[in-house]
Amino acid sequence: MYPGGVTSRIMTRSTANQPGRFTAMIYTKKPPWTLIMGVIMAGYGYMVSTGAMEPLIKFLGTAKLTGEMSQLGYIFGGIAIVVGLWQLLATPKQGQADYYLSTIAGVIFIMLIAFVVKWGLDPLMAVWGKAARPSLGFDFASMLNLNYVVMGIIAGIIVVNVFKVPEWAQNGVRLSRLGLKTGVILLGALYSLAELQQLGKLSVVLIGFFVLGSVWLVLWMGARRKIPNSMGGVLAAGLGVCGVSASVASAPVVQAKSSEIAYTIGTILLWGILMMFIFPIVGKAMGMGPIQFGAWAGTGILNSAQVAGAALAFQPDGIETLKVAEIFNITRVLFLPIIVLWLATWYVKRETTAAKVSLGQVIIGKFPVFVLGFILMFALSSTGVFAPAQHYQGKFFDNSEAKMTKTGKDGKVTSKLLKDEEVATLQAEAEKVQREDQKAALARLIENKKAMSIDDDTTLRGLANAKVLSKEGNEVLKKAHGAVYHTAAKIAMFRDLIAWFFTFGLVGLGMQITMASIKQAGGQPLVIGTVVGTVKAVGSLIVVLLFVSETI
Amino acid sequence: MKEKFDRGTALTIFKNDRAEDFTALLVSLAIAFLVYVFVK
Repeated sequence: MYPGGVTSRIMTRSTANQPGRFTAMIYTKKPPWTLIMGVIMAGYGYMVSTGAMEPLIKFLGTAKLTGEMSQLGYIFGGIAIVVGLWQLLATPKQGQADYYLSTIAGVIFIMLIAFVVKWGLDPLMAVWGKAARPSLGFDFASMLNLNYVVMGIIAGIIVVNVFKVPEWAQNGVRLSRLGLKTGVILLGALYSLAELQQLGKLSVVLIGFFVLGSVWLVLWMGARRKIPNSMGGVLAAGLGVCGVSASVASAPVVQAKSSEIAYTIGTILLWGILMMFIFPIVGKAMGMGPIQFGAWAGTGILNSAQVAGAALAFQPDGIETLKVAEIFNITRVLFLPIIVLWLATWYVKRETTAAKVSLGQVIIGKFPVFVLGFILMFALSSTGVFAPAQHYQGKFFDNSEAKMTKTGKDGKVTSKLLKDEEVATLQAEAEKVQREDQKAALARLIENKKAMSIDDDTTLRGLANAKVLSKEGNEVLKKAHGAVYHTAAKIAMFRDLIAWFFTFGLVGLGMQITMASIKQAGGQPLVIGTVVGTVKAVGSLIVVLLFVSETI
Repeated sequence: MKEKFDRGTALTIFKNDRAEDFTALLVSLAIAFLVYVFVK
């Protein structure tokens, strides 16, 4: 799933066992960069809040981001200044405080890159793309999908492969995977039961077919190409289920060697990175919507981090695609125990020397807990602590008296009920409505000046979409819908936080994509991976286009 | 990067995936609590 440090862990463990191999390590570095980055961030936040950056903001069209620019500038700038001063003035000693506090420099480094990319490069590319359109004939930024997610990952790849990650930031860069996992768990808070039921059914069918199909195809190809059973087994789990973690989980049951795990991980990473950039471009070219693209990315891309990257790259200004993609991704992870059992049975049948391993222990020991965290967060959210349980995409119905009034900044209270003249507009056009359910819902709206139930509201939205009434009449219907539908502030906050966790994680992920890790791919695993990955990507695209509609 | 750390791996500061997962879970629960308390 997430790029695991399997090979490096193996190497670290083997060398760590040698007495005296490691000497005492101090992680906190003295260079003043944390402090300097803090001053830059806080200074930028201050300039945005005082309006000094207005000409630039106007040029880039980022006025709607000024709130987060100043807030995040102050928050991260403040943290960096405090920690930066501490690093300069204190004498660090080996221990927990040194180990964990030293990560902050790297976190700030990643966030600074994320800020530059999201608030600067992304809108700049959009402006240039539009400006170059008359001469080029196309918007290159849109066509190449140059948004902050893609550019953030590319920035990370450039940093690590061209400049190297500065020593003082290296410990913090190792937190990026934690950021991605936290984002996935928090995502659980955004689903309503209705969404999960609909997407869940779809994902189980689609993922079940492609996971089992991929595992079977790898094992079949492996036998034809005469690769060792252990290699075939670990590759099947990696390509079928969820990438790196699946490879690690299946390794004990098929007695895979470290080199075989490394080959599998290299293949998955190489394929995943390519797909992360290609999928959004193809999705946009084919005019896919969030549900179709999310279903495709969640099914066709091998690794969780790259699934998130592709989904956010496809829709950088919202997380609807990410939500769909992650449901498919989580469903895929839930297939892990089944695949481990399958591979264990398959391996024992082929290898007479196969040692007995406890399947239960392997599954319990390796099953990713963050998936359970996602389910836990969803369960918590379903109780209605963050938004009414029936909310849909963070919006919920409430026509109670308290919700039908609005208090302005000046303290003035206004009613959201329809005004008399608006009711008169509807009354005058009521006879145009033919359907009985719409007639009844409209009559209740006219009588009460507000939609009386979710069903009424849904029916009236249908009436508005059908454009039976005049433009004015439809405007009144839209107003009536807006009055009883509310955005859950807590859900909106979760959305913003999740987007930033993923941004942080993906920029950091880019910094972990080294040429050395990609060079691990090769030989037969790469051939099989390419065939199976292509079949999975193309096959899932066809199935999604044929059977997944944009509405659920 | 891997030779530079005596804890965790080249990709994580945690000793294993399970520790990282549990930390992510704790961070998420803490954030959820803060959102629940402070966002009206």
